[in-house]
Order: sequence, then structure tokens, then C-alpha cells
Amino acid sequence: MKIIVAIKQVPVRDSTLRIDSSGKWIDEDDLSYEINEPDAYALEEALQLKEKHDGEVIAVLAGPERGSQTIREALAKGADRAIHIECDDLASLDTLGVASRLAAAIKDEKADLILTGLQSDDLGLGQTGVVLAELLGIPHATIIMQVEAGDGSIKVKRELEDGWFQHVQMPLPALLTIQSGISKLRYATLMGIKKAKTKEVRRIAAGDLPQAATPTVTLARIYLPEKKKETQMIEGSPNEAAAKLVEKLKFEVRVI
Amino acid sequence: MSGVLVILEHKGGSYNRMSWEALAAGQQIAVASGQPLSAAVLVSNEGGSDLESFTGEFANKKLDKGYRVEHALLKDYTADGYISALEQFIKKIDPSFIVFPHTYQVRDFAPRLAARFGQVLLADLVGLRKEGDSFVFVRQLFQGKLNADYRHTGSGPCFVSVQAGAFRAESLEAGSASVEAFAPELDATAIRSKPEAPFREAAQTVDLSSAPIIVSVGRGIKEQDNLPMVEELAAALGGELAASRPICDNGWLPMERQVGSSGQTVSPKLYLAVGISGAIQHLVGMKGSKTVVAINKDENAPIFEVADYGIVGDLFEVVPALTEAVKKAKGA
Amino acid sequence: MNNALTAHALATTLHYAEPPSFSTAEMVLLAVLIVLSLVGFFRRFDRVLRNIFTARKDPDFHLAPIGRRIWDFFWEVLCQAKVIKERPLPGLAHAFVFWGFLAFALVSLNHFASGFRLGFLDADSLIGGFYFWFAAIFALLVAVGIAGLFVRRFFVRPIWLGRKVSIESGIIAFLIFALMATYLAAFTIPSTSAAARGLWWTHALCILVFLPLIPHTKHLHLVLSPFTIFLSRGEFSHIPPLSGDEDFGLVAGKDLTQLVALQAYSCVECGRCTEHCPANNTGKVLNPKEIILGVRSYLNDLGPHSEEPLLGKYNSQEAAFQCTTCGACEYQCPVGIEHLPVIIGLRRGAVNTGAWEDDHGTKLFLALERNGNALGMSSTERDKFIKKQELPIFDGSQEYCLWLGCMGAYDPQGREIIASFAKVMDYLGTSYGVLKKEKCTGDPVRRLGNDLVFQQLAEQNLEIMKQQKVTRIVTICPHCVRTIAKDWQEYGASPEIEHHSEFMARYQDKLPRISENGPSIVYHDPCYLGRYRGSYDQPREVLARSGKVIDPPRARERSFCCGAGGGLAFLGEESGERVSHVRARELAATGASIVGAACPFCNTMFRDALAATSDAPPQLLDIAQITAQTIAAQSIANTTPSNGAQNA
Repeated sequence: MKIIVAIKQVPVRDSTLRIDSSGKWIDEDDLSYEINEPDAYALEEALQLKEKHDGEVIAVLAGPERGSQTIREALAKGADRAIHIECDDLASLDTLGVASRLAAAIKDEKADLILTGLQSDDLGLGQTGVVLAELLGIPHATIIMQVEAGDGSIKVKRELEDGWFQHVQMPLPALLTIQSGISKLRYATLMGIKKAKTKEVRRIAAGDLPQAATPTVTLARIYLPEKKKETQMIEGSPNEAAAKLVEKLKFEVRVI
Repeated sequence: MSGVLVILEHKGGSYNRMSWEALAAGQQIAVASGQPLSAAVLVSNEGGSDLESFTGEFANKKLDKGYRVEHALLKDYTADGYISALEQFIKKIDPSFIVFPHTYQVRDFAPRLAARFGQVLLADLVGLRKEGDSFVFVRQLFQGKLNADYRHTGSGPCFVSVQAGAFRAESLEAGSASVEAFAPELDATAIRSKPEAPFREAAQTVDLSSAPIIVSVGRGIKEQDNLPMVEELAAALGGELAASRPICDNGWLPMERQVGSSGQTVSPKLYLAVGISGAIQHLVGMKGSKTVVAINKDENAPIFEVADYGIVGDLFEVVPALTEAVKKAKGA
Repeated sequence: MNNALTAHALATTLHYAEPPSFSTAEMVLLAVLIVLSLVGFFRRFDRVLRNIFTARKDPDFHLAPIGRRIWDFFWEVLCQAKVIKERPLPGLAHAFVFWGFLAFALVSLNHFASGFRLGFLDADSLIGGFYFWFAAIFALLVAVGIAGLFVRRFFVRPIWLGRKVSIESGIIAFLIFALMATYLAAFTIPSTSAAARGLWWTHALCILVFLPLIPHTKHLHLVLSPFTIFLSRGEFSHIPPLSGDEDFGLVAGKDLTQLVALQAYSCVECGRCTEHCPANNTGKVLNPKEIILGVRSYLNDLGPHSEEPLLGKYNSQEAAFQCTTCGACEYQCPVGIEHLPVIIGLRRGAVNTGAWEDDHGTKLFLALERNGNALGMSSTERDKFIKKQELPIFDGSQEYCLWLGCMGAYDPQGREIIASFAKVMDYLGTSYGVLKKEKCTGDPVRRLGNDLVFQQLAEQNLEIMKQQKVTRIVTICPHCVRTIAKDWQEYGASPEIEHHSEFMARYQDKLPRISENGPSIVYHDPCYLGRYRGSYDQPREVLARSGKVIDPPRARERSFCCGAGGGLAFLGEESGERVSHVRARELAATGASIVGAACPFCNTMFRDALAATSDAPPQLLDIAQITAQTIAAQSIANTTPSNGAQNA
């Protein structure tokens, strides 16, 4: 089974984010980057499928040079080889633009299965995988909890809302977006890192790929949301405090 | 190309609240842009289902037009079926805005549908406003740490989905609208995925890690006999009961309900800490929670450092009051 | 004069009797027996030597400094200091046997020489007569010593000697006793008697049977342990660097080094390591003695070149990961075995190759990779604390860089310790600053054997040190002290670092002293401050200014771990009883009103443990908190009118 995992490099969770002078993106100096966590689960699922069914796992990443660190980690964890689409202009592309680059870079691989995380930690659009499936003309399913590979087809467990699930069968090749937390991630090891040094990384310059269409949505501005106080202390008698808290839970936290 | 189209979502004939919130967002765009508002629902037209009453529910909202997109192959959700049906439908009525509730199902097909039109879905909006001639769509980045204003610059229809709770369904205006049926042409062989019936997981061991609401209790509860009071609050909120280590050490609750470095790591939407002081072993297990509420009698308890909302008070008074207030709010 | 005469008179009547001559047949028989005995010895010993010599070379072994080695040899081998110090009675008994063996070397040599008519000690000569008597005194001591050890092993039977009764130890004890008995008996009979010949042969046979037994039993330590002690790495818990691209720690036999092999064969199975092991004492699988014996069995069965994993049949992974790295085993070992490099080596082998699968461990590694702290907290939390506490930022102008550590930066209790220590430094007028950015020193991953993450953390931190021009650090965490001072050196020169107890002890004269009726404070020696660093007196001196310092039953070098070390604080629930509970009960039982801690990890462990094990637990405070309280109390006292008048 040939599996491609599309991974993204994002700023480390909990990074302190500063808005850059253009007001359109964050200041990238001084940030550390890591694999987008949902993609880490997609990679893990791919590695487990490979362990079960044999085959090959290929990691694909679009992004600047610093992405090679994330690629190396994917290789260290067990991916067999990688494709790095080198580009510095990700922020100026929309989902369609990113997905079309990915599609162009991987279509000749003729993979049986393409996996990716269900969304990215930075943009959180949750569409790249689905759009990639459209561009490749293959079926897809999202928010996948479990994958059972059969001969020429797969059966997946989709998460629906409110604790419901559903099994879906589809032919291969197919694309799945993987739910976070469905398995235990493995840690990178010294041995893995040393082995990764000898694995193939194919570098593709974005310029060598077909020109992406003009973006149809543009990011005009980013800004800090209205700052809520660090800890809102709720005062009053027990009944008053309870009533005030319920109000917050309903309209601010939105859990009631 | 004109008009605002809202795609409603239902399960077994009942609409979820997010559909009405999407309709509210649609109304807002319609009013601001001066364009007509329509809504559509995808249904199966076989098996004698009462289609009229089915669409009746949205016909009494303030709409210019209602649609039923009907086909036998729309009985069960499939991405291929929905996308094909909506593609035909949208081409026919040619709206400028298509609004979805940001549900799991929408996340599954809407991006692909938008791509058919050369568009990108503006997903998970928390707000929108008109600026000049065009709309500004607000969505969150970096897990809510930043907000972003997006504009739609393409020439085709604008696809958006709205976050749960971002628009008030209560603000919907009533009205009446005629409902028209639309029958797309669907080919069974073009629907590649074969869904099975949805199911719930059989009662499994407690899985705190995926619980959206957790009410957690600590040493402040004093005695095992006091636990039911907190259990009741958890039940009222529809959440799981959890505890800090001392409670589980005492055997008052099973170890699998322990949150912290030696227990589970949780990241619920709401973590309500009752009588928990907040030792580091506990904090590391729940720091990923989206919202933390702490109730503790000691105003210097470290838990307040990580809490979003805090109540300093006697938990034996606050918890029952809170349970009542939650029940009241849910009942209303 | 009189005494000397009497002694001389006795010596002439009671003197060591050897048969005056041996027949050719006897000589042939003796020669055959000696050859057989030597063959028996070398057939086995040769295997041992080959396993040691053909094992992988230790990558960072240096003979220098030789002075330290000579001293260790003199003190631990010749003086038997450690053996006696840690177990006085059996230790002394052992020392007598050992010194007796030394004294007997000449006697035994002479014994066989005389069998070939080549004897060089003449009982009638002044020197010979004296020496035989000199040896006789030792023979008595050895006989008493070995009898005592025999009684202990077979009748008292301390559990750490193992549940199985060692028959071979009985035989050896019998042989040694017989050697001494035959020697002493020879003083009571004339040399020409048949009995003298009988004794002579019995004595010779005892030695000839004893010799081949040595390499087959734990008595191999007789031959090896002097070398083991002389060649030891010398630094406590020294973790050797990995060498080359194929070295991931102790994965298989091929990774065992000469020192590890030598140490494994030196184990005397005394069980001191086990007796003091906190894991073993609380019902866990880990038994440090069995770890070493597991390596020995591996070498015996598979040799030092095998690819067979070390963890599995011979040693259990579960056991290796139950170690708190408290170092009690390594400290206690009388034959120079260094357990920590072995246990940590086994962990490295498992973690660096991914063989160790543990949810909590994985979570810890990911937290350190991503967040740079073991608790997985966001670094903004640290920033918030620094701001709230108004801690100055280090800019190179201050005397000290105050290293917060993960606990000091994120743990509510750790933060209180930092706040208190900052007050103490302010009081002393010492300037300090904290780093804007600081990552975990890598202590938990170093001890858990994750070299990848450790290297990343060490290098990132060293880079920060260089950028900020940090030269002197003070910190509240002994784990940070150790890791920065020793472990970082593998990746660059670390700055000078001091534990806050050491810092405060240096300025103790400037600190206030509670005149009388201070509270009683039971001080718990943290492993990483005590055994790892040898700082026992400084924290006590600091505490003595605030109250009456008392020691728990197990203190200083014998301090009992809190259970947090070795990364275990992050590994989830322990099996068996909690180490922290055992220690907390011990501390509370002293009746002290305050438990004085000097490590934020001990502190966090005891917080829960004291509450869980005692209804009215003593107050738990770090030495910095105690000192800060004393400072505060003094300043209040100074501002009250009565004191003010006195001062005026």
C-alpha cells in the first residue's frame, strides 16, 4: 500500500504570537515550528497502516526551507521518503492554490491512499485535504477515527456529532482527513533521526509547478480578539454567582 | 448572480440549532446586501415521507423562497451525492452567497463543492459585517488566539459556513415563504462511498479525553458522601465527572476518572474545577481546556491562575445553586 | 621485657609445625593437584577475562587522574572503608577476612613452596617465627569473622542476600574456616607428627579446592574488585557519551563496555544496592543487584558481541524504568559497580531505538520537544509569572543568573520557592536576573535515556547562555544543578552553577538567626544535592539559623528518595507502594514541626504524600522559604519599639 501523508509546518502551539508590520500575518522571527498536530496523527495512522499492510509512506510538505526540519522528523518517525514543495508564498495562496500545488506534486505517485490531518493549527480551515481529493478526482472522507484497508477498498469510521459514528466504505485510491487523538503518537528517536539522514527527499520548486489560480479569498487583516480579562472573578451570593456564571456559560463559552 | 442561499441541515427530519443560526447569518447578509434570502434542504423523496411538513418548519421563517432538493439518493448523506445535487441546484438558482452551518457534515462536502465553482469556503465564521461595497468575514486563527478579517475577491459565488453559537437563532424573524422542489439528476454509480447506518459507541469505559464538558472535584469536597452533589452538577451540564488525585487515591472515584500527570490529560470545552486547589500535577492534566471555571473557598488557590472564571466561595453553597441555575437555563 | 620473654617462651613451645620433608610421591601428587586446581581456575577465569577484554572499549575512559584512583584503592580496597562504614559489623568481619587473606598470601606461598622443599619461612627463625605468629592473629580474626558471616548468612538471613540460600557460600565459608583451623591447629603439635602432615595436606587441599571455585562464584570479586575499584569512572552516575552513529546506549551485548563487563563480574551479591533501593523497598520489580547479575548472565550465555537485546530475557524493561536514579545503589556498592550508567544505558538503548513504549513517557518527550518544559506548559505562563513577581531580567550586569527551572517557572509551589529565594537574595543585596527564555535542562530525558531530546535542550540552552553571556547561575533545583554542571558538558562548556542552599550557606553569617525556641525542622537530603553533589552540610547550616535541625533515620548519604527522580515524576502512577509515602511517613514520624526540603521535586512529591499519610502533617517548606520567613520575622522584630530601643 502506497500512502502519501500531507503535512504542514505550523508555529509551535502556545507560541507567543505577534502581528507583523503588514498587519496581515504574524511576525515569523523568533518562532519555532513543528508539525501541525492533526497531521502528526495522519502520519501516525499511515505508519500503522504500513506496519500492518506493508508498503511505503511518503510525506509531502509545502513550505519554506524551515519545513525540512519537519520533514526530517517525519522521516525519523518512519516515513520512507518525502517530497518538499519549496515555496515562501504560502500565506498569499488560498486553499485551492495550496491544494493544486500538492496535487501537481503527487499525482504521478499514484498513491493508494492520501492522508492528512483534519485541519491546521494555524489557519484552521480544514479544507486542504477535501479540495485535494477534488483536484485528484478521488473519493474522500473526513474526521476519520479508524481505517481498515481491504483489497482495492477501505472501510473507515467517521466521527459524526454528539457521539455518533458511521462506517463508510469507499474504493481506493481515496483521501482521508484524520481526527486528532485517535492513536498514540510515537516519539522521534535518535536512531530514527540517524536513519532519516539517508532517506530521499525530493525537492520541487513551486515555480516548476503549474501556476495556481488567483486567490478568491484574501486575508485583509489579523488582530487580537477583544481581550477578555485574565480571570473573571464572579462575585455575589451563591445564587447570584451561579446565575452570572450560567449566563457566561451560555453566551461566552457556549456550552449550555 | 444574486441572492443569499442558506443550506439547512437536518437529521431524521429534525433540524439542528446550527441550521437556524446559519439562517440568521443569511438574514444578516440579505439585509445588508439588499438581496433576497432563500433556504434549501436536501431530502429523499422516496418512502412516503411527509415532505410538506418537513419543509414547513423553515417556511415560517422570514424567507423569500424555500427549496427542497429531492432525490432518492439523498436519503443517506454522501459527499458525492450532496455535492452533485447542490452543484446542479446552485447553478440553477445562481446565488451570490451560500451559507452553511459549520457542522461535521458541511466540513465534509462544502469545501469540495466550493472547489467545483473555483471557490474556497470561508469556514467557521464568527462574525461578518459590510464595509463599503463588500463584506468582511471574521474567522479565528491559531485556535482562537487571533482573529482575521477575510474578503471574498473572486468573481463566483461566495461560500461561507458559520460557527456554532456565533449567530443568534433567537434573532430570526418569522414570515412565510413558498417552498419549491428541485430534482437534481443523480447517478448511483457516481456515488463512490457507501455509508452504513450511524451508531453510538456501546457504553465504554470513561473517556475523559474526548469529553466536551468535565466537572472535576478535589479535596475540597471533604467526604465521599458529598460527591453526589457534584455528580448532579455534572449531569445537569451533560458532562463527565472527574477528580484530582487525592479523591481517586481515597477510592472515592475510580482511577480512570483521575485528571493530572498520573491520570488522564483532558482538553474539554469546559472544565469546571470544584474544590481543587491546583497542584502542578493536576494543572498539567487540564491546561488544554478551552475554558476553565474554578470554585474554591481559598482566593489564593493556584487554580484561579489558570481559570477563566472564578467563584470564591463555599462549594457546598455554590454547587447546588449552580446546578439549579443550569437546569433552569436548559429547561428554558 | 618480661612480656617479651614470655611471648618468646610461648613461641618456642607453641610454634607453627610443618612436616620437615616431603617424599617424591608427595611432591608429584602435589604438583598434579596444583595443575588440576589451576586448570580448574583458568578454564573458567579465561572466559571471564575474554568477555571483559574483548568487550567494547569505554569511549571516554582515562586513567588520569591517577591520584584519585590510588586513593580509592587505598581507602576502599586496602582500608575496606566503605564496607565497614555502611555495614559496621559484617563490614568489620569482612575486613578481617580480607586483611587475613593479605597476611596469608606469604604463608600460603611458603606452604606450597615447602611442599617442594623450597620453603622460605622458617618457624624457628626470628622473622619466620614472628610472621607465623603474626598470621596466626589474623587467622583467629578470620575464623571469627567468617563464622560470624556464616551465622548471618545462614541463620539471620537478611532478605537482600536473596531468598535462595547460597550453598556455594557455605562451602567457601567452610573452606576458609578450615584453612584457618588447620593453620592454628598446627601450632599445637610437633612438626614431626603424622598429625602435622595431615594438617598440612588438609590446608593445601582447602586452597586447591578454593582456587577453582573462585571464578565460578561471586568470590570472583576477590580477584576482580580491586581492579574494578581502581578503574571506576570515578564520577557519580557518569553517563558516557555515545560514540559513532551506531551507538544508542545499551541495546545488545555488543554495546556492553569493558568497564560494564568488569563490574558485572565483580558483583559480590551482597545486596547493599537492593537494601537501599527505593523502588525495591516499595514493592516494585526493580532490583539493582539483579540488573547487574542479568548483565553477567547475559555475558556468560551470549558474550559481549551478541546482537540479542539486553532487555528481555536477562533484564526487564519494566524494572529499568522504575529507577528514580537516586543513586543509593551506586553509592552503596562496595566493589565499585556503577549501577546508574548501566540502568540509564539500558534506558537509552530502549528509548533511542523506540523500543520503549509508554504513554506518559511519550507525552513527556513531546512536551519537551514542543514546549521546552517537562510540564508541557506554554512559555507565556512563565512570562506571566516573571512579570507578576517583578523578577529582573538578566542582562549581563547582574552577579547571578537565577535559573527558574520548570518547577520554579510553572509549579505553584516552585514559584513560591523562587519568590522566597528572591527575597533572600534581595536581603543579601546580591544582584540577579532571570532569563527571558529558558528551556528545561533536559534532566528527565537525560535520565530516561532520550539522547535526541536531551541534546536539543542542552544545545538550545547553551546557545542562550552564550548569547546572554551567562557565567554564574544559582537555582533552586538540584536536578538543574547536576544537569547543567555535568551533563551539558557533553555539548559545550557549561557555566558555573550553584544550588541555592550552597549560596545561602556561603552567606550564612549575614543571615538572621532565630535566637532560641526555633521550630524543629527535619531536613530531607535530596538525592541530587546529597549523593550527586555531596552537599550535606550547607543546607543544614542554613536551616540551623531558623530552627533546630533534626535528621530522619535515613539521612545524608543514606537519604531515601522522594520518588520523583529519573523522570519518574512524569511517568504516571507507580506500582506497589508510593516511594513518597514511605519517606513522608518517616519524615513525619520524627515529630518535627517543619519538613525542610531543598528540591522542588521533593517538595511536590511530599505535598501530596504528607497529606495522604498523616492527619496533622508537619508544614512542608523549602529552605529558601524558611530562610525568607526568618528574615521577615526579624525585620518585624526590628521595627517593634522594644527591639528598636535595644538596637539604639
